[in-house]
Amino acid sequence: MLNDLLYRLRALFRRSTLETELNEELRFHFDHEVEKYRKQGMTDQEAKRRARLAFGGQEQVKEDCREARGTGFIETSLQDLRYALRQLWSNPSFAIVIILTLALSIGANSAIFSVISSVLLKSLPYPQPERIVRVFLTNSIYPKFPLNPFDFIDYRTRSKSFDFLAAYTRGDMQLSGGSAEPVSLHGFQITSGFFRVLGLHPQLGGEFDEKAETPGNGLQIILSDRIWRSRFDAAPDIIGRKITLNAQPFTVVGVMPAGVEHPGNEYHSLAYGDDIDLWSPFTFEGDPSRRGSHYIEGIGRLKDGITPERAQSEMNSVMAQLGREHPEDSHWQVMVIPLYREVVGASQRMLLVLLGAVGMVLLIACANAANLLLARAATRQREIAVRLALGASRSRLIRQLLTESLLIAFVGGALGLGMAAGGVKALVSLLPADFPRSREIHVSAPVFAFTFLVSAATGIVFGLVPAIQASRTDPRRGLHEGGRTSTATGRLSRLRNALVVSEVSLACVLLIGAGLMLRSLLNLVHLDPGFREKHVLTATLSLPRAEYKNEGVVGRFYNTLTTNLAALPGVESAGAGSDLPWTGYDENTSLNIEGKQPPPHDEFHARYHAATPDYFRALSIPLLHGRFFTAGDKSDAPTVIIINRAMAEKYWPNEDAVGKRVTWDDHPKEKDWFTVVGVVGDVKDKPNSPTAEPAFWWPDLQQPFSFVDMSLVIRSASNPESLADAVRNEVRRLDPALAVADVQWMDEIVYGSVATPRFAFVLVGLFAGLAILLAAIGTYGVISYSVSQRTPEFGLRMALGAQRLDVIRLVLMQAARLVLTGTALGLVLALTLARVLKNLIYDVSPADPLTFASVGLMVIAIAVLACYLPARKATKADPMIALRAE
Amino acid sequence: MAPQHGWAISERVQQVSSDVLKIQQGSLYPALHRLERRGWIKAKWGLSENNRRAKYYELTRAGQKQLEVETESWRRLTTAVAQILESV
Repeated sequence: MLNDLLYRLRALFRRSTLETELNEELRFHFDHEVEKYRKQGMTDQEAKRRARLAFGGQEQVKEDCREARGTGFIETSLQDLRYALRQLWSNPSFAIVIILTLALSIGANSAIFSVISSVLLKSLPYPQPERIVRVFLTNSIYPKFPLNPFDFIDYRTRSKSFDFLAAYTRGDMQLSGGSAEPVSLHGFQITSGFFRVLGLHPQLGGEFDEKAETPGNGLQIILSDRIWRSRFDAAPDIIGRKITLNAQPFTVVGVMPAGVEHPGNEYHSLAYGDDIDLWSPFTFEGDPSRRGSHYIEGIGRLKDGITPERAQSEMNSVMAQLGREHPEDSHWQVMVIPLYREVVGASQRMLLVLLGAVGMVLLIACANAANLLLARAATRQREIAVRLALGASRSRLIRQLLTESLLIAFVGGALGLGMAAGGVKALVSLLPADFPRSREIHVSAPVFAFTFLVSAATGIVFGLVPAIQASRTDPRRGLHEGGRTSTATGRLSRLRNALVVSEVSLACVLLIGAGLMLRSLLNLVHLDPGFREKHVLTATLSLPRAEYKNEGVVGRFYNTLTTNLAALPGVESAGAGSDLPWTGYDENTSLNIEGKQPPPHDEFHARYHAATPDYFRALSIPLLHGRFFTAGDKSDAPTVIIINRAMAEKYWPNEDAVGKRVTWDDHPKEKDWFTVVGVVGDVKDKPNSPTAEPAFWWPDLQQPFSFVDMSLVIRSASNPESLADAVRNEVRRLDPALAVADVQWMDEIVYGSVATPRFAFVLVGLFAGLAILLAAIGTYGVISYSVSQRTPEFGLRMALGAQRLDVIRLVLMQAARLVLTGTALGLVLALTLARVLKNLIYDVSPADPLTFASVGLMVIAIAVLACYLPARKATKADPMIALRAE
Repeated sequence: MAPQHGWAISERVQQVSSDVLKIQQGSLYPALHRLERRGWIKAKWGLSENNRRAKYYELTRAGQKQLEVETESWRRLTTAVAQILESV
């Protein structure tokens, strides 16, 4: 076996040596034979003749010997390849068109596959990632909600499904001290076992144990590799050192290695893979019997062999138990979700839709290539007939033609891979900021393999039918002098028509997809957000509790700061609030309304915020009724709130909400009541939320607990570049140790909020554009070929008195038949396929009549336009030339 | 058997078969090359009796074994055929 292989390899790579050796061997034989006859007394000539007779056909023997080397398959392929190259070279415009269209479509496929391979196919970068699950609460109002800390402790002690169960919640901190500027760093408060759940270990020091969870032990910190290197020069003796975070001394207990990926979180969310620099212990403070507030998120590592479903059913019974022990727990269920699904679930459908779209583009490109090959096969009929007549077998001919199409496909694939490498970079830059794993996307080995396979499949798909078709050529007919006219057999043109019809219908589907996405995007962009985003600068501040101990100090700080900011030149109004619209803020409370009872098994609830008097003015949130907060709404003044329209309509339908009172206390005294003083317009919670949830605002000087983290909103007359610096200066003047984070213009937030639909539309739109271009080329090709075939006929018609318009109409009618069939098929196909877009589009029906009608018309118009040139050419048919050619 | 070049083999086949097998000499070479690929014979270049470069073939161990197998199966076939012919 091995001998055989080595022999074949030698034969392949040392072909010329073997040829010389073969010649020498045969020559040696021949000379000996001649010598033998000469010794028998023959003349030189006679001896040679006899020797030749005895030996047999020299060339035939050589060919047989070559065959015996066992390299025939490869050698024939190489020969076919050389022939194919010559063929392409001799007709470069054909080669360029077909290779470029394939390169574009294969490249687009490879680019999308790079994203899919890195985002969906690659496993998460934790050991045994399939065992990691996220744990949430759920009920009919809040589908995905954080856990209560004391519930979490009960889960941890009572459940048996997990190797480790941990919880975490956002806890950004300000790092100051030393000579460097104070910075706000992303951080999390974590329970013990958080890193064991992920299967990660600190490179220095250790992880928190349960002792760190008791109140008073929280001043410990684990650093990221990044911050350890950038702020602490990778000091090996960092463990045990005290550093200043939020103006308090934290002891460093560990340093994580590089490449720790944040598993993502929902509450004050940071996307999967965002940079996290600090982890501090989560300490369980307060009364363990109060189970009302929810702000930590669960993550667990399942025991080996335990499925998420089993963990889910165990947690269901644990939660049912807790519900009996604590009335507040009774209306919640636990939800166990595999981490993988939590990270990529939302993007999966969009990516698969994109893959489908780009796959359709490739199919169109294949149909196009097949069409071009069919057209060319017709012109090569003579050559093929000659080969058949000289004894080439049909299979040999098909093989040779397939070699050609494979060569085209692979050249296209190689070019496409190059395009994909560039395209992926553009793709990643277009991706929404919170798109999971976008940093991991690049052209990798699986992408190479994918491109190779796709190219091979493409070459066969578009090459096979034309090759079989060509091999059916009848040598007698093909060789006949007048063969040109007899070639357009019905079968061939039916095949080409079918290809054009399918191209048009697929392009139709893609255009409709793009159209639906465009409408959805426009709907989102034109939604009234409830505020005006132009010229509003935003930033967030976090006041260290160690220094800003009570509401009074916090309130005074923000009051002074907003007053100073409002006095800056060009600033119209400046306010501060607990949050900005559309940044994922989600704080809710239940409440009691004076004189009203909630329906049974339900409670009054609303989203709570805090705001300084000018917050609404700075965002241009309209006042519908009553008044805004004023400087008079101080801590010693009567307590007030402002509510949104949704809350007014939900809890006081057909009533005037202003003057009504609410409280958060179950047994309120007179001072616990808050009076509604104003109703403002709705700001939807997310740009695509159907409605706003009920919400209210406390004046920042009256909030029941202090929001130390506030967002600044500053409306200016224009967008001066210097405003950001001015804001930083004002903050520094008040407290030089404060970091100003997330400085951005509100319109950037708004722009980012539609990043996903924009991404989907741009891509599908690009693919659809490519598709319709290819379909137009295909239609043009078929019609112009048919016109060239029918030139004599047109010439004759003109000679008999047909007008130019008649001829044009004749050609356009032929095109219209194809295009109308294709469009009709496409519309039907789109009607069935568009359902998969349902969750991806906003406020558009997947069967949107406007989109369907305009796409239908557009496709017909483009295709007919593509046929206009050949139609005009038809009118130029000279009857004399046409008749002479017959 | 000592290594032999193609012409010598061809002469020998004709001698031994007493000219019964009149095959075309040329078809010997593809057969030799196929045997070489299979590893049943090996070839090397050497000098012939009249000092010319010639390709000499020699049976390998695997070839020896294969020869025995083939001889045996040929014998069985001819015996069988002979028996059939006799019984007719």
